[in-house]
Amino acid sequence: MPATPTRSIADEQESLEATLKDEILRMYEDVAEQPDGDFHFYHGREAAERFGYSPELLDRAPEGSVASFAGVGNPHVRSFLEEGMTVLDLGAGAGLDGIIASWDVGPTGSVIGVDLNPAMCRRARANAESTGAQMECREGRMEDLPLEDDSIDVAISNGVINLSFQKRKVLRELYRVLKPGGRISITDIVSAKQLSQSIVNDPKLWAS
Amino acid sequence: MFALLEQEGFKRVKSVVVPGFRFRHQSTQDSAEAYGVKAVLFTAEKPAG
Repeated sequence: MPATPTRSIADEQESLEATLKDEILRMYEDVAEQPDGDFHFYHGREAAERFGYSPELLDRAPEGSVASFAGVGNPHVRSFLEEGMTVLDLGAGAGLDGIIASWDVGPTGSVIGVDLNPAMCRRARANAESTGAQMECREGRMEDLPLEDDSIDVAISNGVINLSFQKRKVLRELYRVLKPGGRISITDIVSAKQLSQSIVNDPKLWAS
Repeated sequence: MFALLEQEGFKRVKSVVVPGFRFRHQSTQDSAEAYGVKAVLFTAEKPAG
């Protein structure tokens, strides 16, 4: 038996996940605080318009929620929300997608945002309150959602699940919280080829 | 992701590539294309029971 125990693969993954979590928190705070910053991805109004968000919706939404937008598509085009529905916005960010969803479900519906980052949840709450949107934001991990079983009609998400090392667990959680007959409409990044280990082990690239 | 959704019990899984998605920097875009990276919209349902 070695004198000093070697780090197990699980230990290394746990360490990498912790580093990644910090990097993700930092990156999205950077987007929120530096809307004119230079990032690998398009963000803000430029990105939202690129993905088909209507200028009217973006004009109506709080400026801060639009400027901080860092999605990779438009989950609303297939969400088919109706009045009275309960919607989950997974990875709420500054709240743009959740606020738009709240307009679709109306005053009898509700939107629950979930975000890992307490600062982003505060931004989402403030942006939602400024428009009177029926949206709350709960701090939590997408692998362990702070939601009841069978409580959600539609889950939307935009460029978030790819950030998790445990995608199967995230999808299992989505399944758990959806009502029977509930739906998901999520946009995300996928790769046709296995990413190289150097990319997987680089939190900056992973978070981008 | 498509297969994971089906394996976790989702039905009527559909996917469509997001038009217009690309990285801002050409070097990042080139690397992404080499790995077949794209943005996709997924829809799926939890069976009604």
